Amino acid sequence: MDCRDIEYTLTLLVNNRPGVLSRIAGVLGSRGCNIASLCVAPTADAAVSRITLTGGADGDFTEKIKKQLDKLVDVIAVENYTGPRFIQRELMLIGLRLGGERRADLLRAIDLFGGRIVSMDGDYTVYEVAGTREQTQAVLSHLEPFGVEIMNRTGPIAVPRYGSGNGSLAPDPAG
Amino acid sequence: METTGADIVLRTLEREGVEAIFGYPGANSLPLHDRMIDSPVRHFMMRHEQAAAHAADGYARATGRVGVCLSTSGPGATNLVTGIATAFMDSTPLVALTAQVSTDLLGRDAFQETDIIGITLPITKHSFQVKDINDLGLSLRQAFALARSGRPGPVLVDLPKNILSATGPIRENRFDETPIAALKNQSNGNGLREIAEALNRSKRPVVIIGGGVKWSGADRKVNELIHGAGIPFATTMMGIGSVQAANGLNLGFIGTHGHDLANRIVHQSDFILAVGTRFTDRSTSRLDEFAPLARVAHIDIDPTSIGKNVPVDLPYVGDIAQALTALLPLVRSRNRTGWLQKIRRERTLLEDRLPNGGCGEAGQFIDRLQKVLPEETTVVTDVGLNQIWTVRTWNARAPRSLITNGGMGTMGFGLPAAIGAKIGTPEREVVLIIGDGGFLMNIQELATISYYRLPIKIVVINNGQLGMIRQIQDLFYDARFTTITLGNHTDLVAVARGFGIPAGRVRAGGDTEKEIEAFRKARGPYLLEAAVDPENYVYPIIPPGRSNIDMIYGKCA
Repeated sequence: MDCRDIEYTLTLLVNNRPGVLSRIAGVLGSRGCNIASLCVAPTADAAVSRITLTGGADGDFTEKIKKQLDKLVDVIAVENYTGPRFIQRELMLIGLRLGGERRADLLRAIDLFGGRIVSMDGDYTVYEVAGTREQTQAVLSHLEPFGVEIMNRTGPIAVPRYGSGNGSLAPDPAG
Repeated sequence: METTGADIVLRTLEREGVEAIFGYPGANSLPLHDRMIDSPVRHFMMRHEQAAAHAADGYARATGRVGVCLSTSGPGATNLVTGIATAFMDSTPLVALTAQVSTDLLGRDAFQETDIIGITLPITKHSFQVKDINDLGLSLRQAFALARSGRPGPVLVDLPKNILSATGPIRENRFDETPIAALKNQSNGNGLREIAEALNRSKRPVVIIGGGVKWSGADRKVNELIHGAGIPFATTMMGIGSVQAANGLNLGFIGTHGHDLANRIVHQSDFILAVGTRFTDRSTSRLDEFAPLARVAHIDIDPTSIGKNVPVDLPYVGDIAQALTALLPLVRSRNRTGWLQKIRRERTLLEDRLPNGGCGEAGQFIDRLQKVLPEETTVVTDVGLNQIWTVRTWNARAPRSLITNGGMGTMGFGLPAAIGAKIGTPEREVVLIIGDGGFLMNIQELATISYYRLPIKIVVINNGQLGMIRQIQDLFYDARFTTITLGNHTDLVAVARGFGIPAGRVRAGGDTEKEIEAFRKARGPYLLEAAVDPENYVYPIIPPGRSNIDMIYGKCA
């Protein structure tokens, strides 16, 4: 299997148990595939977690990986959340200094991008922004020349854009 | 009512119908061994944990039931790894029980602690570490259900010592098997109708039978399909024996060391119905040149096996026996005289090209052995030339009558696997055909055979070399021979006798009658060493990186 450079997003419902993540990482790792981002958090049911992971692959490969992941006993469901039918967001925190002559420019840029300043310590400021991967990337590119001291981002999470009609987001077991 | 963890393990084994397990004790597994004294489950003590895993594998391959091996923690557990991987590659249902340090010591690098769950993640279907005695029975039952379900495979259950000695309630441990059963019953609607239509339309069809057929118990259904509609068939190496071999429709097995007829006919086919195979590289060789003219229909229980290697036009995920039951009434037999005539012509042509089936005096010797052995004989091979000579020569008359490891290619498998096969099917004659290299890899198991007086007939084909490696060096590395000489300094007959096993020696190409007779008549274990020439290779063979029709017939070809 080849890992190409088309980004995919998979979400998995998994048993919230020790070792589950290493099984999932193993399926990708043993096939030479890098995980670009990974988000894990419990669902409303604390026994079940949702994992959102992104990586690079071609379409055929994504289907193969999906089938391999689906075979894991602790994986309840796997869905391909790639494409415009899904809303994606990631959260980014940027620590930077607001001092000096470019302060006004910087504040204007922050204002323009939305998001908010969540902490200030002297001229050190933590700025929070949420958006698609493209949006957060654009913010980062713009702010970098101002001297970003630290940046951390969650990687995308995603949900379907349209309701399934039955009020349930549980994937169709046949699909 | 309360009982110990060890008793829960043994009761669960009993409940799963386990009669024999293969293991080796250690400090952390002692609570379990201690309770075995009162259990009807028989524990066979092997002389190495690797052998315990292979024996459980051989037992499962011979019986179709789940094989069980048991080790202590640490080195005992890591010694199982090769055996678990071998079972994983060939889809053998196996439950590996490993003892573990007590839960309060976990993660402290305690004596004989190892993360066996982590080590075996990529080579198990699933694994459990039991940290609460209340979960013990259920985890074990799920392990058995998982090992058997869908595409079978190994499941590991890690058992901390304090859980084995703790007391807990006896439970029914009922659980919802639906998600596991669903693996066996999933299907995709009209797929079979399309497959039948494509098969009915095809002019040059071939059925390819993989190892999955025997695990599904689908051999009769496959036979009906092939003989009912008169469709030629090839097998993979793991599929050998699933369909009666002596038959004009039988093309042999495909792949690197397979039959040229099978490879050539599959290459020319316009339609392939593949059942229970994963199209490994050993079967297909160069993928881009595999069966270029064929539409491919693929029936398999494992969705990940479909389209993984060979692109599939008509996929069907499901149990083979169930799928074929539904498929059979839709299949029409039609006149394919031209195709069958072509196969007959090629068969004659290729037979002329390859006297002795390409296996030389070793092949003729194996053939002579089979002729004196009862029809209900199970042959077990190791890996290497001994394996290819046997699978090319032996007429496997029933599913599970030929046991060989394909995917992993594990040398040292044969001797312990034969032990498992004999214990699982004591009514059958069990013959092991093994090379001198693989024999030395688990030679300590002669002690197990001797101790339990297992009437296993061992044939060591001795060329003093790693024969298959020698052939590869000879053909593809300009005959620069290196690291292949085992030498003839070990007196294998004396070694066998040293273990208390009677033995004889013969030249495969010489006068063998008297020695073969002694071998045949032996009531207990017996070892026959058969010397062959180091240049007794196997032909034809496909050079690395070439396609299935590029078989070569000799050094200069």
